[in-house]
Amino acid sequence: MSSISLGTPPGEDRVLVTVFLRGGADGLALVPPVGDDAYRRVRPRLGVPPARALPLDGPFGLAPELAELHPFFLSGQLAVVHAVGSDDDSRSHFVAQELMERGGVAASGGWLGRWLRARAVSGALTAVTTGREVPDSLRGAPSATALAGLMELAPGPEWSSLCESLGGLYARDARLGGPARDALAAAARVSKLRTEGVRPEHGAQYAERREGEVAHAFGQQLAQVAALIRARIGLVVACVDLAGWDSHFAQETIVAPRLRALALGLSAFATDLGTALSRVTVVVMSEFGRRVAENASLGTDHGRGGVMLVLGGGTPGGMHCRWPGLDTDRLEGPGDLPVVHDYRDVLAAVLARHGEVPMSAVFPGHAPRPLAV
Amino acid sequence: MSLTRRGVLAGGGATVLSLVVLGRAPRAAAVGEAPFAVPEAREVDLVEHVLARCSFGAAPGDRERLRALRPRTEDAVDTWIDRQLEPSNEEDPALRCSLGRLESLAQPLGELYEWKPEVLLRELSSAALLRAVGSRWQLREVMVDFWSDHLNIDASKGECAWLKAADDREVIRRHALGRFRELIGASALSPAMLWYLDGRTNRRATASERPNENYARELLELHTLGVEGGYTQADVMEAARCLTGWTVRDRHRFRKGRVELDPSLHDDGEKRVLGHRIAAGGLARDLEVLLDIVARHPATARHVAVKLCRRFIADTPPPDAVRSVAAAFRRSDGDLRVTLRSLFRTEAFRSPADRRTKLKRPFQAMASALRATGARTDCGPPLLELLRRMGQAPFQYPTPEGAPDVAPAWTGTLLWRWRLAMALAGGELAGTSLDAERLIARAGGVDRLAAHLLGRAPDPAEQAALAGSPRPLALLLASPGFQVC
Repeated sequence: MSSISLGTPPGEDRVLVTVFLRGGADGLALVPPVGDDAYRRVRPRLGVPPARALPLDGPFGLAPELAELHPFFLSGQLAVVHAVGSDDDSRSHFVAQELMERGGVAASGGWLGRWLRARAVSGALTAVTTGREVPDSLRGAPSATALAGLMELAPGPEWSSLCESLGGLYARDARLGGPARDALAAAARVSKLRTEGVRPEHGAQYAERREGEVAHAFGQQLAQVAALIRARIGLVVACVDLAGWDSHFAQETIVAPRLRALALGLSAFATDLGTALSRVTVVVMSEFGRRVAENASLGTDHGRGGVMLVLGGGTPGGMHCRWPGLDTDRLEGPGDLPVVHDYRDVLAAVLARHGEVPMSAVFPGHAPRPLAV
Repeated sequence: MSLTRRGVLAGGGATVLSLVVLGRAPRAAAVGEAPFAVPEAREVDLVEHVLARCSFGAAPGDRERLRALRPRTEDAVDTWIDRQLEPSNEEDPALRCSLGRLESLAQPLGELYEWKPEVLLRELSSAALLRAVGSRWQLREVMVDFWSDHLNIDASKGECAWLKAADDREVIRRHALGRFRELIGASALSPAMLWYLDGRTNRRATASERPNENYARELLELHTLGVEGGYTQADVMEAARCLTGWTVRDRHRFRKGRVELDPSLHDDGEKRVLGHRIAAGGLARDLEVLLDIVARHPATARHVAVKLCRRFIADTPPPDAVRSVAAAFRRSDGDLRVTLRSLFRTEAFRSPADRRTKLKRPFQAMASALRATGARTDCGPPLLELLRRMGQAPFQYPTPEGAPDVAPAWTGTLLWRWRLAMALAGGELAGTSLDAERLIARAGGVDRLAAHLLGRAPDPAEQAALAGSPRPLALLLASPGFQVC
């Protein structure tokens, strides 16, 4: 195989990894505005003490549980967007997730599905999810596979024998010969991956079980994605979920282990990829943020504006937010951080580095206000 | 065996009724136990060509049933096409039984909302595949597939999740071989289409309101005249004015799904579309007049002819064939039977040059594999999952132009076609089973099975590959010769 990437145009070997924090991740817990006086007032018990937060820009700090991500911010490889979200104000997990994954109400299919269609990528293994179900964002994609399905491509000696025979028969076919060669190479790489197992590189260490089940499971998913990227099977998009952020009650017990999972997972993933991180972008998103004021059971309720993270892939990094503040008159509805930045403007900036596609095809009906992430 | 002569002649497979009666697994495609004929020649003949293009592929027994219609092959083909163009609602009991299990499909419009969207989509998708595999009226199923793309609706948008089932039944299936004007008329007021292309929000209650042009544009660009059909932006805007005020009652209202014109939201002034004047005060008639204009426009005849010729003849449709099909469409005022009959008589369709030059789309590849092997199948989730991996999950194409009908869009799906071949031949798919050994025996050996699946005798390289293969059926289904039609 001379081409380094299968099923994609030459030079296009970039991979987009989306991490969806399902359940509505509390933006004020991920990136606490410790320098905003109102923060201590609205989060008297749940708030992060200013001294413990890792400084970002302006009033913002990074949650101490996200410490492993701080170096990426300092080196300009991590962009943080605050008060970001969608225009859906249902505050319903189901409605907000669906709308966000579809990329807006005017659209059908998922935003990743439309993007892959518009880019005309045609390989069999272009889009993979580590979950059991393919997420709505990949609806309508030219191909989308759960990782378990991918592993079906290496079911033993009969498969190898079939591939060998097919190689000869397809080689004579003017139209299908090239695509068949790509497909066979991808199949061989998946087989190899399966026999050799997932081996992290560059000394990357994903979370062990003793560091928590959530962190372990999330790390294993990212380790598999990194292995697929390294195997160059033609991957263009991978979707990973980190669920369980719905912290109405005793928030710390819910959020802290997930923050650890996120930090350990993403930092190990970045280490694992090494210099390949320059062609891989990780986008972390959630359907909405949470109520600014903590509730009586040490939790927070469904809100509006939240946080997005963009790691690697050539992001200019940095803190992005026109901060509305936390004063009561600046809040929306029952007391929520307003959505100042549209999540689609973050995604559009990232997609622009992953192939030329008019954003009207990906986010129809959305008037873009580009963000420099 | 109680089969009507008509049923046998129509090309539907023979069915072993006793198995159904005994409550064994449903069989969507017919599996006889008897030997069946296979083509002997190295070249694809007219019978194999017609079965590949006008049906979802030859099932065991199809070719001899077709040939038995008339002594001369050409006459037999004509008779087969004529019968396929006049389908009844008669279907084999096995298919009726399988479809009967999909309870949501028979529900009236309002009742569809009682079902979960994912259940509706699954049942609708299974039904599409079951019919493609098992219907005796194969040409109708091919045209249902064609119009489902031409008038594409993605069930994931808004209430299409519930309403696409009604659109499939009352627009696409009802008019698939009818008259184009009636098809477009039904589609224009289909609640699913009103949701999908935002027609339900197209309103102009005051002079300052701007109509929503989405449906009007796609009506001209995709459904009728075609993107090079000679219309202007002004035509789109005037067409949109004609369509203002048509709404659908949403699921929170009484009589959900009902389509009605709200006169207070309709722009009732005079319009000019494509050089025609539409007088003020027409109300609901505006839509009918607009559809008369666009359905009968010469560009529409050409646009539909190009797409039909692309489906049935070649990715790049031959101009002569397009001209004569367009002429038949115009002459017959959009009678789809007359139009198709003319297509099947063109030299381009009959000539040996364009045989096995179309790459099967994933849905067709799957349906033809199930038909050719006589598999018993419920067309359930494992098959639908493979279709999704190949990018052709039914009713989920995201954009209005529908799934592409040319080879380059689908060459990236080979890996999953091979996986399907292995899984199908190896009996790994829950809800689907076949007996590879018996199939080989009925065909009369591996090389003859190859001839059945490829529509021609295998060449030496194929024979050599088959001779050394531990899984000849899987190899054949995965081979390049089976990917084309």
